[in-house]
Amino acid sequence: MSAVVILTPVIIGGWPSIMAAVAGAASALGLVVKEQIKEELRQEQAVEQSVEVELANSEVIAQNLATDKEIVLVKGDVEIRVGRDERGRCRVCVKSKGKTKADMEQIAEEFSQKMTQCFVYNRVATELKSKGFQMVNEEVMEDQSIRINVRRWVD
Amino acid sequence: MAQQHEVEIIVSKTGDVKVHVKGVKGKACLEYTKWLSEVVGKVKDQKLTSEYYEPEVKTRINLHQELKTEQ
Repeated sequence: MSAVVILTPVIIGGWPSIMAAVAGAASALGLVVKEQIKEELRQEQAVEQSVEVELANSEVIAQNLATDKEIVLVKGDVEIRVGRDERGRCRVCVKSKGKTKADMEQIAEEFSQKMTQCFVYNRVATELKSKGFQMVNEEVMEDQSIRINVRRWVD
Repeated sequence: MAQQHEVEIIVSKTGDVKVHVKGVKGKACLEYTKWLSEVVGKVKDQKLTSEYYEPEVKTRINLHQELKTEQ
């Protein structure tokens, strides 16, 4: 053995890489992409309750991305909106008519974690490939973590 | 001689990443961890294992050529 390092993820990326992570998380959690909309077209409904979570270590690179862009996902009566706030951070907003605030907070937390995991996985997989690593094994563990084993030969 | 470098990466449910570099002796393994920390985020914890303190493998081949002349 040589070294073991534990890293805390920081989500910094353009909208396409965020979208890829959102799509991955949505797929894993059984959510469906409803639409991509702009803020000015949004019609809020007063009867719905909502919970908003901000990903602390996140930064959506502003290039080609206005603060009014977001993606909407749905599953049953739950609607999740992922976007970029005024400070450039990634924001996850959960809305539902039937769920309690605690339920929605849990959904928001679960989605944020899954999205972060997907973002990190995509980033690491791309970087490993670019460095010439070969994939030896990849599996999803019982605790939902993803284990990747790679190797390469160095002169 | 070519060396095999192995890296095990575990992306946890919350997105935390555990990187385990194997088969890389000496400070070379830190290059991997540094590179991955640049890709992923901040270093939360780091442990160096026994292999880190082993010397890096260096191979030197001396070629000796004799010139013989027929008399």
